[in-house]
Amino acid sequence: MIGRMRTQTTEASKFLVDWMEHRTGIVTIMEHFLYEPVPKRGAWLYTLGSAVLFTITLQFLTGILLLFYYVPTTDHAWNSVSYIMTEAYFGQLIRGIHYWSANFLMAVIGLHMGQVFFSGGYKAPRELNWVVGVILLLLVIGLAFTGYLLRWDQDGFWASVVGMKIGSYSPFVGAYTINFLMGGDVAGPGTLSRFFALHVWLLPAAIAPLIGVHLYLLRRHGVFGSEFEYTERLAKLHERQRLEEYADYELDDDDENGRDGGGSRRE
Amino acid sequence: MYAAATGKAKPVEEEVITEENVYSRPDETIAFFPGQVLKDGYVSTFILLACVVLSYAAPAPLSEPADTATVDYVPRPEWFFFFYEQMLMFFPGYALISFGAVVVPTVFIVLLFAVPWLDRSPQHYNSISRPFASVLGILVLIIVILNMLLAVSRIINFPEA
Repeated sequence: MIGRMRTQTTEASKFLVDWMEHRTGIVTIMEHFLYEPVPKRGAWLYTLGSAVLFTITLQFLTGILLLFYYVPTTDHAWNSVSYIMTEAYFGQLIRGIHYWSANFLMAVIGLHMGQVFFSGGYKAPRELNWVVGVILLLLVIGLAFTGYLLRWDQDGFWASVVGMKIGSYSPFVGAYTINFLMGGDVAGPGTLSRFFALHVWLLPAAIAPLIGVHLYLLRRHGVFGSEFEYTERLAKLHERQRLEEYADYELDDDDENGRDGGGSRRE
Repeated sequence: MYAAATGKAKPVEEEVITEENVYSRPDETIAFFPGQVLKDGYVSTFILLACVVLSYAAPAPLSEPADTATVDYVPRPEWFFFFYEQMLMFFPGYALISFGAVVVPTVFIVLLFAVPWLDRSPQHYNSISRPFASVLGILVLIIVILNMLLAVSRIINFPEA
């Protein structure tokens, strides 16, 4: 009885997998993604990049949950954040994860960037992935800046005012940019609306596809952690080059002395 | 869609290693799953646990409600903007601040975008074999870290300024 049920279950799941594979190719895609060979020695280095991805995912998830309670108006913004912190179920945890993983995100991005820089991972053919990475860094800085104002407390408000004041010193474009960000002559309801729109819509919508491009390019060219993953191959190359050089040298030597006429002793 | 990197198709023994293909395949590989996924999972779990613990041990800050009428509030940027804030201290006054606040960072960001084209030698991945780039990178790191420390010491010593 149990044996027959087991056979039936196996057959049913096999049928389901085949059905999905035939229509979507999902199994082939999963195999391609999961069994891609990656360098063994740098595995711990690559966790920096995946940690960035993980913290950004945490930002998206907890950000969506915070939106259930947050109200982006000058009258209610601070109260809603305070409500999240004191009353809402797991509100403190969700805002805590949003806040702390944002801090971790900045730290891990720095480490990831330093690792890529000092191992030369930006070199051909991976230049464009570095460029996409720098754009992602700027977007994350934009998210960090716009997020600070949303809680509408003294710290966030005045830090953003100072930040915009600094930005207004930009040559040529400063006044226009700040007018756009502030939505008026002074920081107020318009500013909150615009920072909210930037923080929850524009910048995440820009960052998500660029993360996709970053990952696509990573898979396209393979990860590059450091030269030490190629030690043996480099040693083989240098050995072969040394032997060739030596053979050439011997050949030249023979030609100069007029012995043998060269060529016949070529190995 | 996902073209394999060059040289992967050939068995290791038959391949002649040249300047061009030496970096096309590492010495040792593991499958992304489970080897790499497991290590990524360890780090991600650690970060998540740290976030959970910190959200109760050190709850996300929320000061008193914003008051647009305040005139003497001294705001602090978040720690990752400390180095930027400190850098502005070196460009005092109306004439210099636009230089320090915008021109210098813009030049830096443009240089950051240009890094792959400023350092083009294809074989010099090792930081020791390209000392110029490495020394420059370390200098930038030192400047950023020193600026952050200066900002922290300023905040500790002059909490009201």
